[in-house]
Amino acid sequence: MNKQELAAMVAQILGTMDMPPMVKAGEYHPTAPQPEAKETGYGDGDFVPDVTALDLRKLYLTENPENGEKFRSMKERTPARLGSGRAGPRYKTLTMLRFRADHAAAQDAVFSQVSPDFASQNGMVEVQTRCKDKDEYLTRPDHGRCFDAENQQKIRAAIPGKPKVQIVVGDGLSSAAITANAMDCLQAIREGLQIRGIDPGTPIFVRYCRVGAGDAIGDVTGCELVCMLVGERPGLVTDKSMSAYITYQPHTGVSESARTVVSNIHAQGTPAVEAGAHIAGLIETILQKKVSGVGLHLEGAV
Amino acid sequence: MSERLCSVGLDVGTTSTQLIVSELVVENRASAFAVPELEIAQREIRYKSPVYFTPLLDESHVDGEKIREIVQEEYRKAGLQRQDVDTGAIIITGETSRKENARAVLDALSDFAGEFVVATAGPDLESVLAAKGAGAAAYSEQEGKTVLHMDIGGGTSNLALIRKGQIVNTGCLNVGGRLVKFGEDGIISYVSPVLSGLCNLKVGDRVTQEDLEPVADMLTQALEMAAGLREKTQLLDKLTTAEASGGFAPPQESVVLSFSGGVADCIGNDFPWPQFGDMGPILGQAIRRSRLCQGQFRLGSETIRATVIGAGCHSTQLSGSTVFYQNVQFPLKNVPVVNIRNPQDIGRELRKQEGTAILAMQGKAAPSYREVTALAEEILGQTQAPVLLCLEQDMAKALGQALAVRTPPQAQILCIDRVKVSAGSYLDIGAPVASALPVVVKTLVLEQ
Repeated sequence: MNKQELAAMVAQILGTMDMPPMVKAGEYHPTAPQPEAKETGYGDGDFVPDVTALDLRKLYLTENPENGEKFRSMKERTPARLGSGRAGPRYKTLTMLRFRADHAAAQDAVFSQVSPDFASQNGMVEVQTRCKDKDEYLTRPDHGRCFDAENQQKIRAAIPGKPKVQIVVGDGLSSAAITANAMDCLQAIREGLQIRGIDPGTPIFVRYCRVGAGDAIGDVTGCELVCMLVGERPGLVTDKSMSAYITYQPHTGVSESARTVVSNIHAQGTPAVEAGAHIAGLIETILQKKVSGVGLHLEGAV
Repeated sequence: MSERLCSVGLDVGTTSTQLIVSELVVENRASAFAVPELEIAQREIRYKSPVYFTPLLDESHVDGEKIREIVQEEYRKAGLQRQDVDTGAIIITGETSRKENARAVLDALSDFAGEFVVATAGPDLESVLAAKGAGAAAYSEQEGKTVLHMDIGGGTSNLALIRKGQIVNTGCLNVGGRLVKFGEDGIISYVSPVLSGLCNLKVGDRVTQEDLEPVADMLTQALEMAAGLREKTQLLDKLTTAEASGGFAPPQESVVLSFSGGVADCIGNDFPWPQFGDMGPILGQAIRRSRLCQGQFRLGSETIRATVIGAGCHSTQLSGSTVFYQNVQFPLKNVPVVNIRNPQDIGRELRKQEGTAILAMQGKAAPSYREVTALAEEILGQTQAPVLLCLEQDMAKALGQALAVRTPPQAQILCIDRVKVSAGSYLDIGAPVASALPVVVKTLVLEQ
């Protein structure tokens, strides 16, 4: 089959298909007045509804379901994107917009900063790891775990003596998580320690902070235990999830398995104040047993 | 990892007395890296007693001593010691609950059966337990359907309306298989007073199938009225028990009928009518022919044992896993519930109560620390220790410690969450299971 025959065959096949007429380049005038846009229902100054305001657990888009009511009741238990229906083989517009909005929020949480006033407004001293900026923080995890001499000096000045408990608030991978949860959680921890007769010490805020920065603070202060509240890597479910990492006798090089973790602290997970009250109890247990992480067998826990 | 609770159920009904032993498996559903979320993951029945006739001293007194012997004998057969029993419920149901010494017998038995075996009576709770024990609540949840469950026993029928697994209404009618009893000779030995004015049967008369059928049809009609399948008449009011709270509003939507109780066996099986010396078989067949069985209906996964299984397996729930308690002697028994909508009403509401009460509040989802302390201060401005609180939202541990930090160390404080109770209920709260507390809500539970 030569080139001409092939072209003829393709033309014939295309001819049998129901296709829109092709627009020749010469007839294409993108700047010419277009037919009037479809009426959107919105006027000047109106707002498009906020897709992120919709509760995913209640958003059910499947059309003509067999038992929609049952699906809705199951959906109440998970933030997973289920029952989202479809437009042909693709997502519906709302699903797609929401997905992109959540993805953007997750990225924002990583790249945005905890406000410069955050520490001072909450009565904390702020220190910074060796990272100079967010880019270095993201590309050099090792720099997010240690402090230069100046910041070590600042830590020493802020924290007198060898505290039993050192609470550290670190921005981590989500500034939004810290802004939303850290202080509610921290205050509940302090109150819980207070009723247990444990000195909650002087909390400190660390910018560009990785979990290991707590070990360096252990080196500098000689504290018996570090409890770090740190923003978790954001996901599509929430950009505001925070974790607490509790390490007994923290020091540089301590094994990751020596940390006790309480994760998923956010409004739809464990509420910050309840998590704080729980963490205070954990701290007491860890101080009593003198061990944290996998070595800690919680009696009575099932 | 899991923890097991041994739970006992004892049902002293109009006709029968039964006991079961079950095991509740408590598991942590959260990951090891999160705050625990304990729940009762499985309810396994370990032992079922035979069905005893409820021993009576006379028409108005239960034979407490005899029941105690039954319990003792069944514990022996089940290989169970009193101290092995973690939780459970003893209930006196149906006509037996109207005996003069019912309460005293119940309380004595609950102490005998185990430290945290709660004693209770009342048609609302029975309806809830029967609906759960018969699997009707689970069926409703699985299928997403509305179910009207009827536990038809010897003296009473307990009704429960269940939407998507949640029991939303309960009721009780004086409809049962043993409202009329007769001997092998066919001579009537008992006619329940609830039938006075409704039939002409008299003790000493010889009874035939033809005499009983109109009575059974009449009782069935009352059930149809309660199910909204027949125009309501005075008959329904006449057969509604005095204890039933408020009356039972017939469901508006179409429902799946579900049956348990001894009479349910007579719906599925056509026994010879005089077999049990009562009208059970005739009533069962009358129901089988009635409007109740024209649409979709099901017999419970348990029939005569539904209530006792409910008492043994479904009476205990767990609180949230982050709770607070200080200087509390467990178990707490029969603590009345006071519903609080606005914290400013606490003082006024508590003054209406004699003795200790537990304050039931909605609480707030994911509150701020400031909101928690403000609530703690408001509560302490209105009342002094002991402070007992029951919240729906997950905030009990934070609120409890906010209260503790503002009161002397010897103050008695209990703060639990994730339990929904309605006004007029009573709570029993047992010793902690891991970090949660077992709770039995008595009287009507309107679940969420």
